[in-house]
Amino acid sequence: MLFFRSVDLQPAVFFEDLELGREYLSPGRTITETDVVLFAGLSGDYNVLHTDAEHMKGSLFGERIAHGLLGLAIQQGLASRGEPAAAHGSFAGIKWKFKGPIRLGDTIHVRSRITGLEEGSVAGHGLVTLERQVINQRGEVVQEGETAHLLERRKP
Amino acid sequence: MNTGPLQASAVPTQVYFEDIELKVPLETPGMTLTEAHVALFNGLAPTTAAREAGLVPDLLPLCLSSGLGWRVPRPPLAVLAFMGFEWRFLLPVRVGDTIRSVSISHTKRSMREGGVVIEERRIVNQRGETAQAGKLTLLVAKRPRP
Repeated sequence: MLFFRSVDLQPAVFFEDLELGREYLSPGRTITETDVVLFAGLSGDYNVLHTDAEHMKGSLFGERIAHGLLGLAIQQGLASRGEPAAAHGSFAGIKWKFKGPIRLGDTIHVRSRITGLEEGSVAGHGLVTLERQVINQRGEVVQEGETAHLLERRKP
Repeated sequence: MNTGPLQASAVPTQVYFEDIELKVPLETPGMTLTEAHVALFNGLAPTTAAREAGLVPDLLPLCLSSGLGWRVPRPPLAVLAFMGFEWRFLLPVRVGDTIRSVSISHTKRSMREGGVVIEERRIVNQRGETAQAGKLTLLVAKRPRP
């Protein structure tokens, strides 16, 4: 998202700095078995979809797949490496679709585009809407949705 | 005491689409959020974002609610796929907060392969405040034919 500014990257952006239609591309990341096992341990979600290789041989997918929410968490991190960093802001909401599986070994990246710049519900802030797509190495969109962020305006 | 033969087949190991009762709230046990949760989450899905000390990553409570959902007095839901969700971040969630998740299935739609269930879910903190809330769309398996 339009994240809080990290110490060493680019200068912080404010709401006024953003432009409708602007696109951003993140670096890629390969999703491994380790990621899936760690996420199962952290979340406590041990659904066979993610943890039982033998069961999944006979499934539609033929193998274990990553948790949808693992993909979501990882894209959030990837996006932070592609989108501008905000001086101050907060994540307001998200609408999201899991369109296809992320398989162990898949490499995903995030493409985002600014689709809305509106008055925010918090004084001194604007509401930024982004469309994000999570894309695998075959160019398939595996997750997509809309994220909303409150972003600080420049002080007058 | 039941001295009859064990009837394993009578004990459901999963809740299938047909078994889901609408409008019945299911509440999970609580989970106290620690620095360890934050460190593990940030190790798995790091962002370059600087973060106010003590706040947990925005997506951590939702991720934990997926596991907490297995710890309710009901066999686990036979989820075939998580199709999508809408979610709002209402209040900050901090290390030291104890969260639980409260869910209600409010719509069922039968499909040829399984059925679609819309579940309303809230993340509630130790003060009873709803910190995050939304709707999840799940594809759930139908009961296997005998």
